[in-house]
Amino acid sequence: MDAPLDGTSSRRGPVRAPQSLVAGLGLIGLGVFGIWAGSDLDYGSLRAIGPGLMPFWLSIGVGLCGLALAIAGFTHDGAPLQSFTFRGPVVITLAIIAFAVTIRPFALGGITTPGLGLIVAGPLAIIIAGYAGTEARFIELLTLALFLTAGCMLLFGDMLNLPIPIFPTAVVQAMTGVLPARTMLRLAAGAMALVGLGLLVVQRRSGRREPIEVARHSLTT
Amino acid sequence: MADLFSNLGLGFSVALGLQNIALCFLGCLVGTLIGVLPGVGPIATIAMLLPITFGLDPVGALIMLAGIYYGAQYGGSTTAILVNIPGEATSVVTTLDGHQMARQGKAGIALGTAAIASFFAGTVATLLIAALGAPLTKLALIFGPAEYFALMVMGLAFAVVLAHGSVLKAVAMILVGVLFAAVGTDLETGQERMTFGFAFLTDGVDFSVLAMGLFGIAEILRNLDQTEARDVVRERIGRLLPGLAELRQAAPATLRGTAIGAILGILPGNGAVLGPFAAYTIEKKIAKDPSRFGRGAIEGVAGPESANNAGAQTAFIPLLTLGIPPNAVMALMVGAMTIHGIIPGPGVMTKSPDLFWGMIASMWIGNLMLLIINLPLVGVWVRLLKVPYRLMFPAILMFCSVGIYSINSLPTDVMLIGFFGLMGYLLIKFGFEPAPLLLGFVLGKLMEEYLRRSLTLSRGDPMVFLERPVSAVLFIIAFAILAAALLPSLRKSRDEVFTEA
Repeated sequence: MDAPLDGTSSRRGPVRAPQSLVAGLGLIGLGVFGIWAGSDLDYGSLRAIGPGLMPFWLSIGVGLCGLALAIAGFTHDGAPLQSFTFRGPVVITLAIIAFAVTIRPFALGGITTPGLGLIVAGPLAIIIAGYAGTEARFIELLTLALFLTAGCMLLFGDMLNLPIPIFPTAVVQAMTGVLPARTMLRLAAGAMALVGLGLLVVQRRSGRREPIEVARHSLTT
Repeated sequence: MADLFSNLGLGFSVALGLQNIALCFLGCLVGTLIGVLPGVGPIATIAMLLPITFGLDPVGALIMLAGIYYGAQYGGSTTAILVNIPGEATSVVTTLDGHQMARQGKAGIALGTAAIASFFAGTVATLLIAALGAPLTKLALIFGPAEYFALMVMGLAFAVVLAHGSVLKAVAMILVGVLFAAVGTDLETGQERMTFGFAFLTDGVDFSVLAMGLFGIAEILRNLDQTEARDVVRERIGRLLPGLAELRQAAPATLRGTAIGAILGILPGNGAVLGPFAAYTIEKKIAKDPSRFGRGAIEGVAGPESANNAGAQTAFIPLLTLGIPPNAVMALMVGAMTIHGIIPGPGVMTKSPDLFWGMIASMWIGNLMLLIINLPLVGVWVRLLKVPYRLMFPAILMFCSVGIYSINSLPTDVMLIGFFGLMGYLLIKFGFEPAPLLLGFVLGKLMEEYLRRSLTLSRGDPMVFLERPVSAVLFIIAFAILAAALLPSLRKSRDEVFTEA
């Protein structure tokens, strides 16, 4: 996972392993933050340890590790800083927030978002997230969103009966007594799948072949 | 011995129930699917599927989740052989010789060998769990809080040693994990710790939220930086069953791989990832003609494949007998067990023998299913590999969001996976591994509890950890392996200094 050690990259300045230095500074910051955050807690004694003792010593430990790493940044050659892209993290975060504030009413300060349910939140998250990649195509993402949301509605709402809001609160109120919730769910899912199929057929007509891209997998298990 | 068989009999009677067979099959199928797809790991998947198991009975739920885990080991090798990309972290070494075999038109034999070696390893590992379960559970009964604390320290020490890269960074990650575990209401005094007045932090950080952020979302962010185009093998897959000569060649490697994988898998601290690497190195060392390796040596497929499957399964031993999860996936299993009201540990075997033995028996059944479903389905998996990543990650993202929302019905949980995803992305970018953090997080709560309890019992005397023989031995092992891990790296860095000077 580390970038290959490159002893020659940063010999000129005093910093020989920028990655270690920045990582170390970050850990020191976290340690200091931890000590501050736990400063109101009682340390207790060895006989009866208080709630503050572990957080305090752990923060000290984190800080010390950071210090060692930061020092190593000056004394040992190491990896340079890796390049960052902002598109991915920003767009993915937006997608997640969009899902969180639309799935059910969410109050932040004086503003409350309307609860729109999975039927809106799901496609919203998928379509926004899709633009995190560079070769996003709207029609493709829309098709995916229709199929996946329909599938999720059936799986989570119908089969598993999980308490996840499916429809906008306003629609639910309007339809109470008119149509049973489950029938409405199935109808909506069916309609979405049909539209998705239609879109798929349209795309197949103008289909084209491309090389397959696959994500690399890391050693993170 | 008779006990063992009667227990296994009970296990099979549970595991062969219609519902459990179906769940086992479903788990294996999902596991193979995510194993085949690079970029989706078992950790994120199990976290995603946790809510689905709410409605099931605990035995069925755990059988399915376990199936996902070892199924992923099977699936990962398919991708490794056909596309030269490891589908799972544990199949990295399989790419070396497996893909070469595929290039030579022997893809089918490589797949067949991998499946048969995995099945053999799975069978041995199942027997091992069954045989070691009872004695280790008895051992656990003499464990007091001091011993448990020592055992967890040893587990974390192993996690440091077995992690990739810098020892210092691994230690830092574990400490951060334990620190995160301290967030929330203190169990003994009821005081809120480091919650900053946020209501959603009162109960602490939810484990599945942390896991899904660090492994699900962070993985997407990382992959977006480096997608690449690769072609699935074009050659014919060829016949699937290896011939007699090939089997003879692969058999000793399978035996060795199984032994190595099983031993490393039991070690607390994610030994299962190390297994295949160790097995490959050993095969190459003892081979008469090491130059064949990397050019399609069948031993290079059989050894690591048996090791990863054996390790994946023996990792259940510390969880089921001592209640201590040795890696992040097992930590999720703890979560799943707790949701169903089961406290992992020595009590599982005595209080709910049907769960303990049913799960063990299901592992063997699952391995058999994997052998049968995998080989004929290779064509389906190949087709799946053609799903482009630009369609896969929005889907993963949505499943993560829906899954995490349905656990607690809290929109803040969904936002937190975004937060931890960003954190995981930063960690990866700075060369930290998120796995030790997660392990530290899981063990953190338990560790603090046992530490406080043992010090209360000893009236504040910290010598209790060294006076009790079992805990003293565990501490000595922990310090010894930490020292051993530090020494060579010290030496190596010194060497670097010398060569520069």
